[in-house]
Amino acid sequence: MMTNLFSIFDPSTNLMNLPMNWISTILGLLFIPYSFWLIPNRHFIMWNFISKKLHNEFKTLLKNNYFNGSTFIFISLFFFIFFNNFLGLFPYIFTSTSHLTMSLSLSMPLWLSFMLYGWIKNTNHMFIHMIPQGTPYILMPFMVIIETISNIIRPGTLAVRLTANMIAGHLLMTLLSKTGTNMSFYMIIILIFIQIMLMILESAVAIIQSYVITILSTLYYSEVN
Amino acid sequence: MLSRVALRSGASKQTACTALVARGSASDVATHDQKTFARPVRGEPGKVRLGFIPEEWFQFFHSKTGVTGPYTFGVGLATYLCSKEIYVMEHEYYSGLSLLVMVYVAHVKFGPKLAAWLDKEVEATENEWNEGRNQTVKALEDAIEGEKTEQWRAQGQELLIQAKKENVLLQLEAAYRERLMYAYTEVKRRLDYQLEKSNVERRLAQKHMVDWIVSNVTKAITPDQEKQALDRCIADLASLARK
Repeated sequence: MMTNLFSIFDPSTNLMNLPMNWISTILGLLFIPYSFWLIPNRHFIMWNFISKKLHNEFKTLLKNNYFNGSTFIFISLFFFIFFNNFLGLFPYIFTSTSHLTMSLSLSMPLWLSFMLYGWIKNTNHMFIHMIPQGTPYILMPFMVIIETISNIIRPGTLAVRLTANMIAGHLLMTLLSKTGTNMSFYMIIILIFIQIMLMILESAVAIIQSYVITILSTLYYSEVN
Repeated sequence: MLSRVALRSGASKQTACTALVARGSASDVATHDQKTFARPVRGEPGKVRLGFIPEEWFQFFHSKTGVTGPYTFGVGLATYLCSKEIYVMEHEYYSGLSLLVMVYVAHVKFGPKLAAWLDKEVEATENEWNEGRNQTVKALEDAIEGEKTEQWRAQGQELLIQAKKENVLLQLEAAYRERLMYAYTEVKRRLDYQLEKSNVERRLAQKHMVDWIVSNVTKAITPDQEKQALDRCIADLASLARK
């Protein structure tokens, strides 16, 4: 029951007052293929293909900071966010990444751990990084302030970017669908068509957002060392 | 639905854990009990209709309701839910509908190409695994061919030896004949010498005898006999002249 437009984002599936929507978060686990037999099946090959491509991307970005297995956390992050975004498009599945709690819980520990490591182990390196080479001396204080602020809000941007995109997409879909309840049959055909366009956009956004968040995390990680 | 797979596999299969336990050493592979410790084999995925409804449910209802039974049941159930507003067609329904159309179109358009490419990758992996075995088999087959060629060559060697033997025999024969000829000519030479010698002796003896006779006769001719012989000759001549 839609009390207001944003009620689709409320965790409302209740079982003795326990919110059950969040179980959709672990729905993505079911998509991971088994490797029971020696000869892989198509699903496994698809998964491997995407993983390898991502691994190569991140490895290139990490350059000298790459150790064996550095890309695992980022690939897992990608698949986690991707499945949550994409499955949220299906009817009756709750989009867990559209909640700031979820996104912030992902981005904040990542960013904080990178920054604390950098500030404690490579303090000088972190402070030097703020100012690009060849800045005039007068501009330096302002540069430091601006860089510090941009650094501090990074977890916020990571989280809010993801949440905002998800909310915007779902809101549009819901708005469009709500007009379908009392509409003539021929208009519904147009409605379905527009919704298909939006769906395609939403799927693209789902993939892109997960990719962006992962790439940025990789970049932030590579800056630390 | 995993139990369906287990049911369908039959009694001769076993799960992965017991398979690992029962593996044993490599020498046991050929001789171990194939019935109770059969190696698990990959089966086909279960048959489904409409992508997610298992085929067994259709078979189950086939005897009672025929071919269209389950479909009618589905349609009827959907109609009941919609008409009684148990399932409310609100905004999720329309987004679900558009998603269904999108997924179906993607499946029809990109499905076969993607499946073909993925199957190619599976083939490549399978070939990679089989490569070692296949190469060994091929190497062994080539070795067999080489062995056959070598055997054929060895047979040729036998022929060569025979030819050499014959050659030697021919040479021996030729030498023998040459020596035979030599012996013959030598013997003939010696015999010719003896013949010549006897001929010469006879000729000499004859000549000597003739000379002796003639000399004795001329010695024995008296003048009387000489005159008679002359008269006779003149008479013969006269008779001849008259003719």
